[in-house]
Amino acid sequence: MDVKERIKSLLQQADIYQAQGLLNEAKDRYMQAGQIIKQHEDVIRNKSLLSSIAAKVRAINDDMKRLEESPLLREMPEQVQEVIRTKFSFSKDDNLKDMEGAIALAKFGQYKRALREFNELLSREDIRMDVAKNIFRCHMAMDLIEDAAVQYEQWMNGNLFSVGQLGKLRFFLQNILEKKGIDRQLPMPDDPGREKEVTQEEILDISSVGITISEGVKKGETIEYDVSFQSGNVINILISSTDKYLLEHLDVGITLDQVQFYSPMAMFNGKAVVSAKSKIESGPKQGYYSLDIKIKSI
Amino acid sequence: MANINLKDREIECKIVYYGPGRCGKTTNLEYIFKTFRKQVTGDMVCAKTEGDRTLFFDFLPMGVGKVKGFDVRIQLYTVPGQVKYASTRKMVLREVDGLVFVADSLEVRREKNALSLKDLHQNLKEYGLSIMKIPLILQYNKRDLAEQNIPIMSIEQMEKDLNRQLKAPSFPASAVIGTGVGETLKAIIKLTLQSMKQKMGW
Repeated sequence: MDVKERIKSLLQQADIYQAQGLLNEAKDRYMQAGQIIKQHEDVIRNKSLLSSIAAKVRAINDDMKRLEESPLLREMPEQVQEVIRTKFSFSKDDNLKDMEGAIALAKFGQYKRALREFNELLSREDIRMDVAKNIFRCHMAMDLIEDAAVQYEQWMNGNLFSVGQLGKLRFFLQNILEKKGIDRQLPMPDDPGREKEVTQEEILDISSVGITISEGVKKGETIEYDVSFQSGNVINILISSTDKYLLEHLDVGITLDQVQFYSPMAMFNGKAVVSAKSKIESGPKQGYYSLDIKIKSI
Repeated sequence: MANINLKDREIECKIVYYGPGRCGKTTNLEYIFKTFRKQVTGDMVCAKTEGDRTLFFDFLPMGVGKVKGFDVRIQLYTVPGQVKYASTRKMVLREVDGLVFVADSLEVRREKNALSLKDLHQNLKEYGLSIMKIPLILQYNKRDLAEQNIPIMSIEQMEKDLNRQLKAPSFPASAVIGTGVGETLKAIIKLTLQSMKQKMGW
């Protein structure tokens, strides 16, 4: 084949390969053609051919770069997502099939839609734990670490999961965070015996308290007092000056780790702190000490 | 494996078009979608990326009549051909009943054909399936390019390269103009249904 024919053939191949999306092959042919032209500059009259080929190679390079940089995953239209959800779940069991559908969405990188599906599946008790873990995985896959942590905290404050389940979920998420080198400590789930921080509005009317002494010779002894008045989460008790041991023990700022609060409706345990202490100087309770005790948790 | 719904008397078979990138898998489905309107039962769903390349899969549902009183529904899929989408290809292959391997007739794509066939073999193996046993049709696509003086491989060469051991039925094709597309489709449906009947003991 003569040189011109060879160049023509290579350029034709290159054009077709490019049209077919075979960019490497097209580039290779253009470059081969370019080299032959350079070697036979004496016989090639069309001097603009080389620059035209160079432009085509540049365009191919741009296309290749664009393709390389295009994301491996992207959010697909609803129709595609529906095929993924329904056709990539194979279980005969309805719960598992729906779960597999949501997992398939996640595997195909359709995390937002997968999250929607998983959130709907949370109502199904049989699969709830697996669903929850997959919700964490979706957040992590989207690099929404804070969202995962917030989700955990929301579940902690709700009643969807038992304390045991929350413990497992915390362990699961904490483990992922650590593996990713993320310094974020998740709160431990509440256990039934664990007190909850209280606000003023949450406190019932308290009629009396039992304070358990935590140190000294009376350690472990519980002393009960009537509440003289209450303002929100602060209760006031009066202690006789004869209870010297107790008065010495109950200084301002002291935390009372074991307090029983008695209300007409219920008795509950909690923590409190002595917030004020003063001696009554006049009136029928003169000589008594007035103690303000702020309820910290119940 | 085919999904058989006894209650609704329906059989659902999954046929996957496999092959190297840009070999014409999507073009096959597009032609089927345009041409087999009576059999097509829904939209063709395409998940494409930039540059018109298949990102996840193409999906085309068809109905091909009744077998033993069961409505036979065929679901055609393509896989993304580009090497980087290996995990997606594997996901699409799950529960496959029949395969069309679309090979590119261009000489420059000879090695890519072989690599893709090897990839198919490996992925099937991971699902416990054998490429020697699964219903399989080979299609040698882009035969029309010979008319434009583009170097393509001979059918003999392609048979030798790809089908020497498989001995699967094969068809030359030009999916862009439709040549061989229908024949390939009919052959794979026939093979798949035969295989299914055998498995069911019908």
